[in-house]
Parts: sequence; structure tokens; C-alpha cells
Amino acid sequence: MSLDATLAALSDPTRRAVLELLRGGPRRAGELSDALGMSPPAMSRHLRVLRECGLVAEARGDDDGRVRVLRLRPEPLDELRHWIGEVERFWTGQLASFKEHAERRSRRAPRRR
Amino acid sequence: MSAPAGDGATVSVSVRVPQAEAFDVFTSEIDLWWRQGPRYRIAGRRRGQLSFEPGVGGRLFETVELPAGPRVIVVGTILAWDPPKRLEFEWRGVNFREGESTRVEVNFRDVGESTLVTLRHSGFAALREGHPVRHGLDGAAFSRMMGLWWGELLSGLREHVVTRASA
Repeated sequence: MSLDATLAALSDPTRRAVLELLRGGPRRAGELSDALGMSPPAMSRHLRVLRECGLVAEARGDDDGRVRVLRLRPEPLDELRHWIGEVERFWTGQLASFKEHAERRSRRAPRRR
Repeated sequence: MSAPAGDGATVSVSVRVPQAEAFDVFTSEIDLWWRQGPRYRIAGRRRGQLSFEPGVGGRLFETVELPAGPRVIVVGTILAWDPPKRLEFEWRGVNFREGESTRVEVNFRDVGESTLVTLRHSGFAALREGHPVRHGLDGAAFSRMMGLWWGELLSGLREHVVTRASA
């Protein structure tokens, strides 16, 4: 899925809270709506967004195969991490340039102490 | 793999100048240290000047000298101006929508003869449909976001300049 869908999904605080809860392990939809104090239909809409962008997948429960649980899928966040990595490289270059300038300038005209 | 933690990039550098000087050079001399070239500047190889207007509400902007006169392109407004310790400003890509923005926060920590400069660029998760990366993660999308806030806008400007120069 596109990074755009991932970012859009992450832009909502409720959906971020859902992901935080799922970090602790798979949960049923009802557990999520209870934990966040939301109505099941509202939670269902958020879960649909998360499923569509691939951040969350539906699975069968470990101890009861009849129960549907939701689990976290970290793959879409890899794209986001890649993007953040690009941003980091950009600023690493800029700060290196800043350091070079500031230190060169300081050697030329040492500050009085 | 916390989602909010993935929402920003943090970069640090230790600079061998005192804290007050680091803040001052970072802001008042940005045009002297900001990298040159079309990846980093609207002006590309043409004459341009990058400036901070000191104080909250001031702007970070680039002035580009065009045959028709100078043109100002604003990157963002200053959100915090707390010399010599802290600076925060908005960073807006050229195809950001009204109200969309990311944030750059710069902290200057006094460590004796040196200053530890830590920069965090965040807020990417809050961008919605229409932000510069909507077409995926190619180099062009990155340029539109970062070095070239400007992207199409600026290639438009360059064409304008070239057209005029050859007319």
C-alpha cells in the first residue's frame, strides 16, 4: 500500500491508540472499542481504514479458532521509516554544513571570553 | 515500532562553538551555511537569499532574484524563538494544502566549549491526502517535500527565467 494511505491512517489519534494497544498482542474488536471507550460501529470504521492500508490484519484467535482477532502488521511502517530515513539524510547533510561553517568562522574570528 | 515515534526524523551534531554563537550563526547566517544547489534552494544556481526573521511569528523564507524583480517564497512561520536554546518553525512543502504543515524543532545544548545541536523534523503522520508523498516514495516526491519546497513551482520559475534570458 502507499505511504500516503499509511500516513492518512496514522493521522488519527484513535487509530494510533489502536496500534499502541495491538503492540501488546492481538485483540478482538470489542476489546478495542471497550478499551478506548468507543461505540463498536465507530471502532469498526477505524479498523477498516487500518485494514485497508495494511497496518492491521484479521486473524483467528490462538486459543479459540472461532474468534476473530486483529493483529498489527508492521510492514507499511517500513515505508514510513524509509521516508523518515530520507528526511534524516537531508538534515544530516545540512547540519554537517552548519557545523563546518560555524567552526570555520569561529577560527577566523575567535570570540572574546 | 510505535507509530507516533515514526513520525519524525531526529539528527544531532556537536559544534565547537559556544551555545549563544551556535544559535546566532544558525539563524542569522543561514544563507551562508545552507547547502547550495537546486536540491536545497529555490534559486538553484541563480542569486537567492535564505533568511530567518527573528522572533515568534517571523518567517523562514528565500528571496529569489528574477529579471522581473525579487520573489519571496515562505517555508514557514517561526513558532518558538528562545535564544540561545531553542528554535521551532513550520516547514511547508510546495504542494501542501492550506493548513498542512510539518514542524522543525532545533535545540542548542550548552556542553562547555561546544554546543550539541539537535534537530527534529516531525508531523509527517498528520499530513493527509494531497501531501507531497501521495505518489509514493520516489526521488521527485522527496524533492518536493524537502530540498525543493518549490518543485514544480520552481521549475516553472526557472523556465520563466530561461525564456526571458533567451528572448
